[in-house]
Amino acid sequence: MELREKHRLAITGAVIGAISVLLVVLGNPKNMGFCIACFIRDIAGGMHLHTAPIVEYMRPEIIGIILGAFAISVITGDFRPRSGSSPVLRFVIGFFVMIGALVFLGCPLRMVLRLAGGDMNAFVALLGFIAGIGVGCIFLSNGFSLGRANEATRLEGAAFPAATIFVFVMFLAFPSLFLFSESGPGSMHAPVVASLAAGLVVGILAERSRLCMAGGIRDIFLIRDFTLILGFVAIFIAALIGNLLTGSFSLGFADQPVSHDKHLWNFLGMMLVGLGSVMLGGCPLRQLILAGEGSGDSVSAVLGMLFGAAAAHNFSLASSAGTGPGTNGKAAVIVGLIVLIAIASLVTVKERRKYGRD
Amino acid sequence: MENRDQKVITFHSQYAAFLFRKRYGEGCVLRPVPRSLSSSCGTAAFVEGEVSGELLEGAEAMYEKDGDLWRMIWKEQD
Repeated sequence: MELREKHRLAITGAVIGAISVLLVVLGNPKNMGFCIACFIRDIAGGMHLHTAPIVEYMRPEIIGIILGAFAISVITGDFRPRSGSSPVLRFVIGFFVMIGALVFLGCPLRMVLRLAGGDMNAFVALLGFIAGIGVGCIFLSNGFSLGRANEATRLEGAAFPAATIFVFVMFLAFPSLFLFSESGPGSMHAPVVASLAAGLVVGILAERSRLCMAGGIRDIFLIRDFTLILGFVAIFIAALIGNLLTGSFSLGFADQPVSHDKHLWNFLGMMLVGLGSVMLGGCPLRQLILAGEGSGDSVSAVLGMLFGAAAAHNFSLASSAGTGPGTNGKAAVIVGLIVLIAIASLVTVKERRKYGRD
Repeated sequence: MENRDQKVITFHSQYAAFLFRKRYGEGCVLRPVPRSLSSSCGTAAFVEGEVSGELLEGAEAMYEKDGDLWRMIWKEQD
């Protein structure tokens, strides 16, 4: 059984890596076949939540991931609506995860895709991501938990996927309601059908395999288990092969697509993402999958990320490609690390008291 | 490690899993929750001996190997 789970993860990772390269060939920005943070940011722009003109587009990949996870979880019985595990704290953590990702310019999935494209700035970010997960694991092993979720009604669990369908139908029927970038990353996209299909496939496979970019590293730290990390490795290998075959591999720090070489902020930005992901129980991709499975708590995290994306561009917190973060972005990362460590510390102390142990 | 006497205990938090391992001692291995039991990517305890009730503080459920499947033999009361 364990072997079957490992095969499933490896296949899922390989398919996601290959699809990511294909989406770039079809029009998505380089090293951005998939990026949960960038695509949620584009959706925030498409929905008028921010007005940065180069990052506005209703990315069908995100809609596909949520609906793919929703559909397969209903079919297989994994759809178990639940909520009540510190939804407001999850919103706050999701907010700062997005800030960290937009200072680095990518979620953990895009970090791996950037690495597979030869972008060594992503290696610096990987070290930060591992450091953030390490800090999170210290809290987890000392009692950190956002609390139990309670069962919820099927209507409650289906509300977010239904809202996603509604927004997507509106996007197809009345595109003039939404904003579309005319230049920059937001203007670069694969055809809608291909993007939606890719999202659906990734949503289904990630739900079945429990793929999580943070969970693999967390399990290595906490229980010396290498199961979940297989997906992470398979994405890298498949995307690396795809990039080499399509001539998209370029090794180095300088002039990488939609990136910057401010090492400290790549490190700290992804450290914030790593810490937040451990606190949420999964990376941004995993939050979308759990939201599709009916977790109201993950919907809170996703909405926090959407709100964070809007704030990142309305308040100049996001990095600019090439130049990196400004003063506001640097301050936001520091504040984010302080806030998340403060939340983790307070929750950990409370949980340890509950168990009656020091 | 998998055999017919094996049991799996799932928990509400990572910390509860760590506490269980500490209390149980030798013969307890922490691994990801089997996919067939849950879509969550939490941590489960795998043991081969008997598990007394007082060890199950913070546990969610306990399963026993039944052929290729896991059969629930204990569940926390709400």
